Amino acid sequence: MSAATEQPKQTLTVTTNDNVDIVVEREILERSVLIKNMIGDVGEEQIDTAIPLPNVNEPVMKKVIEWCEHHRKDPPAPEGDDSDSRKKSTDIDEWDQKFMQVDQEMLFEIILAANYLDIKGLLDVGCKTVANMIKGKSPDEIRKTFNIQNDFTPEEEDQIRRENEWAEDR
Amino acid sequence: MKRRYEGDTASSRPTKALRPSGVDHISQLSNELLLKILSYFYTLAEDSQLWKAAYFNRFVRPRVARIPGVSSQNLFYSSKLSKWLEDEPLVRAGQQTNWKRQYKLRHNWSRGKCAVSEIEIAEQPSLPGMLVQMGNGVIFTVDSALGLRAWGPRTKGELIARTALKAPDTDGIPTSLAVNGCHSAGEDPSIAVGFNDGSFQIYALKLEDEAEFVLLYSHPPSNGSLCALAFSYPYLLSMTSGNLLSLYIFPPQDNASSLSSPRLLYTLGSHVVGPESSLAIKPTSTGVTASVAYALQGYLCGWTVGIQEMRFSLSGELTESRMATATDGNFAPVSQEVLTPAGVGWHPLYAKPTSISYTHPYLLVTLPDNTLSLYLVTSTSSLSISPGTRLWGHTSSVSGAHVGGRGKAVSVSRKGNELRVWELEGGLQSAKARKRLLSGEISIRIRPEKSTSAADLEISQIGSGLAFALTQRFDDTSVTPGWIGFDEENVVVLEEKGQGSQMLVVYDFAG
Repeated sequence: MSAATEQPKQTLTVTTNDNVDIVVEREILERSVLIKNMIGDVGEEQIDTAIPLPNVNEPVMKKVIEWCEHHRKDPPAPEGDDSDSRKKSTDIDEWDQKFMQVDQEMLFEIILAANYLDIKGLLDVGCKTVANMIKGKSPDEIRKTFNIQNDFTPEEEDQIRRENEWAEDR
Repeated sequence: MKRRYEGDTASSRPTKALRPSGVDHISQLSNELLLKILSYFYTLAEDSQLWKAAYFNRFVRPRVARIPGVSSQNLFYSSKLSKWLEDEPLVRAGQQTNWKRQYKLRHNWSRGKCAVSEIEIAEQPSLPGMLVQMGNGVIFTVDSALGLRAWGPRTKGELIARTALKAPDTDGIPTSLAVNGCHSAGEDPSIAVGFNDGSFQIYALKLEDEAEFVLLYSHPPSNGSLCALAFSYPYLLSMTSGNLLSLYIFPPQDNASSLSSPRLLYTLGSHVVGPESSLAIKPTSTGVTASVAYALQGYLCGWTVGIQEMRFSLSGELTESRMATATDGNFAPVSQEVLTPAGVGWHPLYAKPTSISYTHPYLLVTLPDNTLSLYLVTSTSSLSISPGTRLWGHTSSVSGAHVGGRGKAVSVSRKGNELRVWELEGGLQSAKARKRLLSGEISIRIRPEKSTSAADLEISQIGSGLAFALTQRFDDTSVTPGWIGFDEENVVVLEEKGQGSQMLVVYDFAG
């Protein structure tokens, strides 16, 4: 972060893949590690140019920005995420829960966008939300929830069931 | 929280609107993202505390009903207060127990579910026979041609060490083998080998880097063939074919590579007849207890079991020697029993037992009439043996059995294709146990899931389905001479093939 002196309320423009320009506070946008690194790469002088986001559309980006705005004061995500994300539970704070009350298409779009933009906190919330939708359901219920086609043959299913029978609740 | 969330998702209108299109978003995610979502379940599935509680509820608590005299307090799972019975070592402080693995292991045992593999240990039959023992996860075999060998079942049954037998100045043939029963964790296993000339040797299996046998001690020939040994360092109990029992004690070991000559504590003649006997030695706080369980023939007909128990003080003096025979045989006073043998409801053994296994208090004999007989030994101020209980389940002659301290036993039929696991804890005298006995719940047949040998694959391709392959797995000409052993994870059986080769068949329940 070479010459990035704190300039309050500095704004940036992003262009989504449906050709909409959105103006966002720099601080908020920098929750995205991708964008933060981009700015670092292109340098401060280029900062007025709109940043193209070929993988995100406007409605999704608006949601993402909404989340980043709410979480603007969060401490940055610690490095070495893998091990500690496993220890965490699937508990989600209330605001995030409400935020994630969207249809499935939007939910998965948010997850993809968070992954692309590298916003770890949002990605975690999205994945936890999906995990919670899976939790406590039978395979059939899970299939129904996510419209997953059952591509196992009855024999394969039987085999899997037998292999895991030991772990079943009794 | 979770509930509300799910409810909301299901009822939110956009979701419903999307349903008809039935777009499967989740399957389109990259593996990396799917893995991240599922990793939350990984945490849950690996939660040792959950598995620990499940283990307790399924495997510890139900046993209490079977054991008389254990109070039913502390029988609800709570991590600190629960009584774990003999599973106590698993919860010892500092012990890192993989509860999920333990749970699966116990489940597999309870279902007889295991994987099977074979280790060929000799191409030719051995004379007088291959001796096998198992201890500390290692299988030891000894015969005169191939020497002393160690096989690791945990590492897919490979040969981990071997040594030619270095009998001092004789060409002794090994006649008995015993693994040190008093083995502390982290110590190298040690074994005793007895010879037909009365000599014996103690070996240690050094397990560092490359495992090797080290001869610790070699005893000169003496009173005739040693047909049985029991070894619990520093004590060694031997029995000759002339029924001479000798108890030795080794002086404290001052270096790891040799043992000084043991002191002979006691020698005494025994009434034991025949090789079907089981020697045991158990150090106690006041000395050591040596015992011999054996089969003996009744005066007129039938067989029964007897036990001789000798207690020695710490200084090596014989403080007590006592004997008992099972009360159900024809050994009871001749006058009563013989007059009304059918009326009194006991089951004398009409045939000579094929093997005896004794782990206090369980004494299990196998019989050629497809049954086993279980006796409970009481050794308090007096020594006694309960009446025998017949165990049904096998459909052919039983050639060997092994009972462990928790009352778990395994047995194998002579034809080798039938193994059973028995839960005999607490004996079979209670009404509850009798019920289990009658309903056939007392034992479970071991059902190997898949085999690793090529021959089995061929068979399973010919047959229709897995069940066929399993029943046909053993070729008809193979027999099990009777040695069978087990530990926490494996059952091992010695099998002789028709062509003369010898196999160790390892049933692995940890899979």
